[in-house]
Amino acid sequence: MPPESKQQTPLKNIRVLDLSRVFAMPFAAANLADLGAEVIKIDTCQTQFMDTTRTITGPFPDNQPGELWWEQGGTFQNLNRGKRSLTLDLRSEESQKIIKELVGLCDVVLENFTPRVMARFGLDYESLKTHKPDLIMVSNTGYGHSGPWSNFGAMASALEPTHGTGAFMGYMEEGADGRLSEGQVPNKMGNSYSDFMATWTALGSLMAALLRRARTGQGQWIDLAMYQTGTTVIGTGLLDYAFNGRRTQRIGNRHPVWSPHGVYPCRGQDQWVAIAARDESDWNAVCQAMGMPELTSDSRFADPIDRRRHQEELDEVIAAWTSTRTSFQVMETLQDAGAPAGAVLTAKQVLTDPQHLDRGFFETVHNPPESGLRDKGYVGRGWKFSKSDAAIRGPAPRLGEANEYILGELLGVDDDSLKRFAADWTIGNLPEGGGAPGTVPLDEQVELGWIAEYDPDYLDLLPPV
Amino acid sequence: MPAGLLDGFRVLDLGSGISAPWCAKLLADYGAEVIKVETPGSGDDSRRIGPFAGGDPNSEKSLTFLYLNTNKKGVSLDISSVSGRKLFHRLLADADVLVENNPPSRSKELGLDYASLAEINPGLVVTSITPFGQTGPYREFQATDIVTYALSGLMYHSGDSDQPPLRNVLDQSFYVAGANAAAATQVALFARLTSGEGQHVDVAATECLGAHLVQPLPYYNYMGAVKGRRPVRGAGFEELMPARDGYVAPSVQGSQPWSTIASLIGGEELQDKKFATGAGRVAHGEELKELLIKGLAQWDRMPLFLASGEQRLVFGMAQDAGDLVDCPHLDARDFFVEVDHPVAGPARYPGMAVRLPGETITASLPAPLLGQHNAEIFGEKLGYSVEDLISLRHQGVI
Repeated sequence: MPPESKQQTPLKNIRVLDLSRVFAMPFAAANLADLGAEVIKIDTCQTQFMDTTRTITGPFPDNQPGELWWEQGGTFQNLNRGKRSLTLDLRSEESQKIIKELVGLCDVVLENFTPRVMARFGLDYESLKTHKPDLIMVSNTGYGHSGPWSNFGAMASALEPTHGTGAFMGYMEEGADGRLSEGQVPNKMGNSYSDFMATWTALGSLMAALLRRARTGQGQWIDLAMYQTGTTVIGTGLLDYAFNGRRTQRIGNRHPVWSPHGVYPCRGQDQWVAIAARDESDWNAVCQAMGMPELTSDSRFADPIDRRRHQEELDEVIAAWTSTRTSFQVMETLQDAGAPAGAVLTAKQVLTDPQHLDRGFFETVHNPPESGLRDKGYVGRGWKFSKSDAAIRGPAPRLGEANEYILGELLGVDDDSLKRFAADWTIGNLPEGGGAPGTVPLDEQVELGWIAEYDPDYLDLLPPV
Repeated sequence: MPAGLLDGFRVLDLGSGISAPWCAKLLADYGAEVIKVETPGSGDDSRRIGPFAGGDPNSEKSLTFLYLNTNKKGVSLDISSVSGRKLFHRLLADADVLVENNPPSRSKELGLDYASLAEINPGLVVTSITPFGQTGPYREFQATDIVTYALSGLMYHSGDSDQPPLRNVLDQSFYVAGANAAAATQVALFARLTSGEGQHVDVAATECLGAHLVQPLPYYNYMGAVKGRRPVRGAGFEELMPARDGYVAPSVQGSQPWSTIASLIGGEELQDKKFATGAGRVAHGEELKELLIKGLAQWDRMPLFLASGEQRLVFGMAQDAGDLVDCPHLDARDFFVEVDHPVAGPARYPGMAVRLPGETITASLPAPLLGQHNAEIFGEKLGYSVEDLISLRHQGVI
């Protein structure tokens, strides 16, 4: 989009305290930083209590955790770009007191501890509100702060099936007659889907709260339950049970009405293309594009009902055609004919996708040379503003890089206390205890099925940043 | 009543299908007044998408439509006609947001492009949700959910590594896009507090989904590795495994010692110290998987899930729609809302993802019938007379 007058930095005067860990809320806070908020990430020097994206998540440059391993994880860098870092030790009363004073200077708090932990630290909303009456706080947990499961921990990998997605996702199963029917085994979108839905929900709800605060001066506590977030996006499925008693629908890549609909093998290793025909016009376009106009008059494929009845035969015909072409060739040929088709992109292909490159979806971050990180592209956002300024502001913060700014400048903590904090590892720039995480060689990761393959010359294959 | 966070904001939902209606529903649930504008006769595409209440393919009984359009008022209006456009411009005059999801070229034809709309109301935030965005080589590509999912890069990771990539759940691409759009729309409203100006928000579903790739992308651009789908090898932790009455997701996460996990699942052999470390579980993966299957076969899903939660472990269980509708935890959190629709009848609908202490959210207005609020919006609000409305109806404009 041509910049008309990108004068507005939407969250310029908003300060965010990011007490959160792992994926969901750190990513929400990173988006707030992209929008211009000052985001303070609460870090710790104690390795065992550090955000796991600093320690074990990786991936590290060339699979080698360097001397500054806690600064170098690629996922950590994506999720914490543009933030400031303050180290504290939340177990100590002094640190808890600092948090409370800092909350008084912040507009928004994001956290994802279990209710038990926040209450133990004295950092629950009611307590923090006394320091900032119009505070907006998002508490993200697996199951929310009320109800019988409220103290259960959660991770996206186990939460996803719990919030019901597996009821509507799964491969079809072959019966004795060789025909495929609805599957019994649930599957997962994976890739921490539940976390990201929580990210978007947090952003939406806290923006609503900020809009109200701007008009009424009122704060808001947002009790975000990932379990509920995941349930709201399958509302149609829940209503299908409420009205019709249907509990599951696992139909692989098929569509309940449209046909053909699925992914088809293409030339190359594990390469696929998705094809969907929504109506007769799409179907005709698919047949023409494949150079098989005779299919349109084949009685087995006369209408979507017939095509669904003969889906296996139809899929064979299409697969025979796609498998001699690349996924991009199939996509271009079908799109030229006006039919929906898209290559199933690997992360490598995403990084070189012409659409992303044209729209600048990956934003280059320059890390300081001493970080040991090369310049890289990081994921941007799925939205562009015609006037507002949204962009990654800089790399993820070095551990405790803002200790002096926040403790000294903002809070006026005296020098003696700072010295004491440094001596007992409350503040610092280095991890206390534990060393660099081990990594598994990439060859072995291929063996174990953790990765599909790897390119030793990947740097030459990536577009310039 | 919905929450009151967006009290006083007026949203026009020109969307169809899932992405824009979901965005507008989220804004409605936060308290915005949402007017849904549908094409006379046919209405929102989702009215023709199954499943339907009672299996009856009636355009007022589409469950997707009923779910995505609660708390909205509905008018029918042909904005491509001369009279319709005039009426539409009056609706626009005091709207804060317009959300739409037409292909870019179609938006322009309909006069829904930002430049045209800003002339009428410079304070308007216009949110356009498309599979690929308003610019770039794919902008006019034909796309459905599976195509969007494929090109986002997420689909490659869904499913099993010895099978083809597997489609997501119930058109998720468009829910992800709608949720992103709701957030971005409000950012633009927040920016307007300072600037006084509206603007265009260009939401691309593939990018919204692509932002989820914070692991697979650095796997490649940090070390050249391509992450694949769920490995079929391995011990089975963090994956779906069979229990007695369905599937569960056992997990080693949650900072509890291995002995706690092993005792919960059961069986002497699981206590072996060789399984106590991550490396050990990898080295003895196949053996561990067998023991895991044996242990889990003694458990039903719910008792295992509850026991794991009480022991501070983070197991999951595969629940279906019925399990969720009857879930005691969701019930305790007043998650479901009562909705009584004049054609489809009453049911409990999923409520909001967030609980907002201080807000009382008891029920939702049912999704509007096609043109249900024509008289209220065009007549009472915009001042069209009964005769005018009859004339508009006669012309097929409403």
